[in-house]
Amino acid sequence: MKERLQQLQEEALAALQQAADLKSLQDVRVQILGKKGALTEVMKGMRALSVEERPVVGSLVNTLKDRLETTFVVRQAELKKQTIATKLASEKIDVTLPGRRATAGSKHPITLVTEDVVDIFTRLGFSVEEGPEIEQDFYNFEALNIPKDHPARDMQDTFYISDDLVLRTHTSPVQVRSMLKKKPPVRVIAPGTVYRRDSDLTHSPMFHQIEGFLVDDKVTFGDLKGVLTHFLKEFFGEGLGVRFRPSFFPFTEPSAEVDIACVICGGKGCRVCSGTGWLEILGCGMIDPAVFESVDYDPATYSGFAFGMGLERIAMLRYGVNDLRLFFENDLRFLKQFNV
Amino acid sequence: MIVTYNWLKEFVDFDYAPQELCDRLTMVGLEVDALEELGGGLDSVIVARLDAVEAHPDADRLTVCQVNNGSEVVQVVCGATNHKAGDLIALAQPGSVLPGDFKIKKSKIRGQVSQGMLCSEKELALAEDSPGIMILPADLQLGRPVFEALGLKDYQIEIGLTPNRPDCLSVVGVAREVAAMCGKQLTLPAAQFAEAAEQISDRTSVSIEAAEYCPRYAARMIQGVKIGPSPDWLVRRLEAVGMRSINNVVDVTNYVMQELGHPLHAFDFKLLHEGRIVVKCAQPGDKFTTLDNQQHNMVAEDLMICDGQRPVAMAGIMGGLNSEVQADTETILLEAAYFKPTAIRRSSKRHGLHTESSHRFERGADIDMIPVALERAASLIAELGQGSILAGIIDNYPKTLATPLLTLDVNKAQALLDIPADCDIIQTLLESIGLQVDAGKTTSTLQVRVPSFRPDLEREVDLIEEIARLYGYDQIPTTMPTGTVDAPQPPPRQQIAKKLRNAMVENGFSEALNYSFVAPESLAKLGLAGDDPRSVQVKLLNPLSEDQSVMRTSLVPSLLETVSRNLAYRSRDLRLFELRPVVLPQADAKGSREELCLTAVICGRRQSEGWAQSADNVDFYDLKGLVEGLFSALNIDQIVYDQEATEAYLHPGKSCRVVKGGKVLGCFGEVHPQVLDVFDIDQPLFLLELDVEQLIAGAGEISRFKPLSRFPDVMRDSALLLDETVSAGQVTEIINRTKVKYLENAVLFDLYTGKGIPDGKKSLAVRVRYRDQEKTLTEEEVSKSHNKLIRSLCHQLGAEIR
Repeated sequence: MKERLQQLQEEALAALQQAADLKSLQDVRVQILGKKGALTEVMKGMRALSVEERPVVGSLVNTLKDRLETTFVVRQAELKKQTIATKLASEKIDVTLPGRRATAGSKHPITLVTEDVVDIFTRLGFSVEEGPEIEQDFYNFEALNIPKDHPARDMQDTFYISDDLVLRTHTSPVQVRSMLKKKPPVRVIAPGTVYRRDSDLTHSPMFHQIEGFLVDDKVTFGDLKGVLTHFLKEFFGEGLGVRFRPSFFPFTEPSAEVDIACVICGGKGCRVCSGTGWLEILGCGMIDPAVFESVDYDPATYSGFAFGMGLERIAMLRYGVNDLRLFFENDLRFLKQFNV
Repeated sequence: MIVTYNWLKEFVDFDYAPQELCDRLTMVGLEVDALEELGGGLDSVIVARLDAVEAHPDADRLTVCQVNNGSEVVQVVCGATNHKAGDLIALAQPGSVLPGDFKIKKSKIRGQVSQGMLCSEKELALAEDSPGIMILPADLQLGRPVFEALGLKDYQIEIGLTPNRPDCLSVVGVAREVAAMCGKQLTLPAAQFAEAAEQISDRTSVSIEAAEYCPRYAARMIQGVKIGPSPDWLVRRLEAVGMRSINNVVDVTNYVMQELGHPLHAFDFKLLHEGRIVVKCAQPGDKFTTLDNQQHNMVAEDLMICDGQRPVAMAGIMGGLNSEVQADTETILLEAAYFKPTAIRRSSKRHGLHTESSHRFERGADIDMIPVALERAASLIAELGQGSILAGIIDNYPKTLATPLLTLDVNKAQALLDIPADCDIIQTLLESIGLQVDAGKTTSTLQVRVPSFRPDLEREVDLIEEIARLYGYDQIPTTMPTGTVDAPQPPPRQQIAKKLRNAMVENGFSEALNYSFVAPESLAKLGLAGDDPRSVQVKLLNPLSEDQSVMRTSLVPSLLETVSRNLAYRSRDLRLFELRPVVLPQADAKGSREELCLTAVICGRRQSEGWAQSADNVDFYDLKGLVEGLFSALNIDQIVYDQEATEAYLHPGKSCRVVKGGKVLGCFGEVHPQVLDVFDIDQPLFLLELDVEQLIAGAGEISRFKPLSRFPDVMRDSALLLDETVSAGQVTEIINRTKVKYLENAVLFDLYTGKGIPDGKKSLAVRVRYRDQEKTLTEEEVSKSHNKLIRSLCHQLGAEIR
């Protein structure tokens, strides 16, 4: 009996070790440990043994059973690992093939720039206001201290709808409308579409501006410089050269043009900045008392500043777009370059 | 406005190099647009002497010259005939590049070596035409650059003047700013001349009948003038500032206008009927021909300079052809006057005549400059035309125009500009540009008398601007405002627009931006009915072209054109949208409404082209999915998709209106094939239009959280056999309406017609999910609910279960 067990152990261990895959391993297990397996057969023979021998052989059988079970589990794990390895080895893909992407949409570059400018000013407490694109002469000109028959009207070639209605030539009328609606302190930013009767390589009859103004008591020219310098550095990057120089707008006094160091050549002088090293980026000034009078703010109590800039120009500088017309041609190959 | 560096130097002795001068001018508000060296790059054109001139051995018309350039003698072959040995000439040495990109090289001409070129004035851009080479004055030093030796080296400075600075429309005006910045004195040009015995008042008279437009009119008379070409220095000066030489008299008036800023006019006195001047308004209906040979129809507001019988000049704008200075003119009546800016501006606009003169008058000339300019011009005309100036001046100036006396509160200037400048500093600054400043009534005020050349200074704030400018914007500190302010939520319109734009981009759409003005017939291309309200468009009075003459009432035509253009560029898978207002005229035709619209189009492949993607094209349901997503993003529910009465430009069977509570929010569907044809679009296109204003009104509140069930769901699938005419909408409506217990949701997951389905029928499969918040559902509970639902569908839609 013992010899039989010994022999069985050797055969079984060899068979388990030799099983080449999970299925044959399982077969071996059934052949030995199954209901009709070799070991079961041996155990059946135990009935013929004497009472003294039974526990001894029984213990041997159990030991053998445990040993075979353990061997089976170990071998099974080994074979599983091998199988996975083989499977993985056969499943290699080409990771350089392009992935499946959802179609990317894109905002118009003018929208992107508008959102970024608005964002910076919103963080400074400015809120966004809008106004009509067809505007009354009063809001577009008169209330902004640009009377009829004034040479300042030549600064902006105007599209007329009627004697009294124009396509707004700037976003400044939103200033007037906002001030008529709300008393100081006010901080407003007003992006919008504007129109001038001018069309060539560097002028589009429709373009975009963003207007901003701030009115409170004790607002100074220094505050104007501070807020706009802050904005320009946020937008174009810290370390940017900024200069303010005297200019003229009928609705601000003192007025200024703001130049930034040319973002193309870094201020050394190039074609884009006409060799000056500076790029004109926005117009601004302290709000003229005449404007305050037309919106019923007391110029003795309040002061404020206003500014305006062309968004196409800012977009051109930011993205390096060299042709204004591209903004309105809506060529998908252009638009797609601004996906977010 | 163009000035030159040397011309400025005549009036102020500054030390700035040209570029530095320009930078400083820009920083005081006179923005320099361009700085150009006159004769720049011509330093290798030098003064040389002809030591010998001999005939060319092999060419009749050429000479071989031995040219002494101061250090050596070189040989040059020359084709001119006006030179002889001993002459000083302009030698362009090899390597020179003359105007017109004409490169000078060492060469051989008919066998003779030629080391350069002898230049004519034309070749050096010193004259428009020249008969031969330029013979230089004999006293020049050999070897010096010609431009330098002739004193022609100069710099042209072009200033982009703002309209508030008429005082700088002259060399003297700019020089005044330069004097202020360098602290030097400004010297005005002198006029010294002898007068003839005869009195001007014996020969002519000036009467002003329109004093409200012409407060001052002065005249001088010069007789015995010989009209002829101007001397070189005058021609060159005028050319340097962009003017063309006409003759000595006209050139002087232009020269003095450039120099002193005051426009002048010279009449041929013999052509003035009755030999006198009358300033009055035009007779309506008068025709008048200006110097440029253009005829104008005059109106009663046009101010005219007349002689005893007829108009002879359009005041302040342009002289008349009938009194122009000509070759035989001998006696000149020289006018210097002041005209009211608005009068000149109106006439100039009305007649489309913008001249150097009108430009200055409409911005505000200097009334006190009149006698100065008149004397200066008279002396130059007499000198250059060898005439004699009659004694006296006619100066008709009945009512002196007072210049304003302003009070400046120094504290206010300090506060607004945030600078510590005290009374003394401010007084110095203002006096530096010619303002007269005295102590005011209190220690912190100043009295400022504004000179007549600064009509832009009318109020205290105008003085504050001058202080800021002269103090230097860069000297003003950079601070942040200290106040606080409420920043309210953006209004719903802005919020919705932003949400929509973001949603469109997330769905793969690119944002387009088209002009707001279109061709009037753009709507007709859509096949709209004649009485469609959108065919009433707001028109521009002065469009750039007919194609851009009316405001859009629909974004559709522009977007279809955008599609067409992109297809032409071979971009065929398009997802485009535009979110912009349209302009709808109001009933009273006076006003208009601007209503925000969203228009979107898709065509081509559903998925981007690729090895692993389906090549299927988009269809109606891609657009519908987008619409459903947009409404869900805006929390707008209870939308009805109504297939009746959609737009004429959409496919009648594959389009619908989007309706909520009886209001039309928009429409979408496949674009009508005829419209595609008109726009040259050769593939199916699907278009969506939403009226954003309506969406604002219908946008829902923030959606509330619904608690999650922790119990398992049970799903039941049923295939319904329905009449083909029954819509999916009817099925979902009954599912929603039938009160079925435990129903969580239902999905239509299959639509089938064909084999196994009788004609006129379709199979629509619905998957219903049941779940309870409180317990696990039993088989019986689910069956009870599902059976109820199916009975309801069978009963109400005649459905059968397959």
